[in-house]
Amino acid sequence: MARLRPYRLFWAGLAAVLLWAVFTAGTGWDPLGLLVVAAAALAGAWWAPTDLLRVSWRALPGFVLFFVDRSLRGGVDVAWRALRPTLPLEPQWVVRPLRLPPGGPRSLLVSVISLMPGTLCAELVDDELVVHALTPGLDGKLDDLEQHIARLYALRL
Amino acid sequence: MAAVVAWSLIAVGSGFFLAGTVGLLRFPGVFSRLHALTKADNVGLGLLVLGLAILAGSPWTALKLAVIWALALLAGTVSCHLIARYALREQGGRERAEP
Repeated sequence: MARLRPYRLFWAGLAAVLLWAVFTAGTGWDPLGLLVVAAAALAGAWWAPTDLLRVSWRALPGFVLFFVDRSLRGGVDVAWRALRPTLPLEPQWVVRPLRLPPGGPRSLLVSVISLMPGTLCAELVDDELVVHALTPGLDGKLDDLEQHIARLYALRL
Repeated sequence: MAAVVAWSLIAVGSGFFLAGTVGLLRFPGVFSRLHALTKADNVGLGLLVLGLAILAGSPWTALKLAVIWALALLAGTVSCHLIARYALREQGGRERAEP
């Protein structure tokens, strides 16, 4: 029953209470509501991938700011390319060695790459990433992303 | 004043959706199209949600909209990776797949 350890139940319960409060605008505390929250807390504690959550909370605001900034640029960049009559694209494959450890950091990297300007992660084999880039010269930007994720998980690359 | 800001955000957000769809139609190949959809729609939905949250005028509704955006973001980026991976394997890996 390691999955239902008290601290896991506590965090899953807190998340369930907060989500239920949001869904019901703070009014869902009848017996049925409490039952739903309890079930969600148990399910969360049982299935939640906790290694995604072992982040350093101090580094989180910086990461969120970085993410919002870059994903906005990514959207603007691709919208501009789509609307330009000349269609400025030079798509290519870029293979990158992976420096982040498996688990949370790696999953986060793969997910976030697709929202950064002009890059998209197509494959992860052993310790290599296959990235699809819309134009050349976007790799350096992924170094920044790796650094930020390493900082978020308190790792040294 | 708040309404002007909100409707501007909604208008710009819709513009991003439109651009993403234009990209989906104009870009060559499945990978480039995925870029257009994932990134432009994520920004579009974010701006749309911001505008609607201002119009809603209730913090509960604003929070609910934020949760919707976060879930759509997660679903979008994960499915983007999975579709790209499937397409790459289908086309025989990066040595043979047209980028």
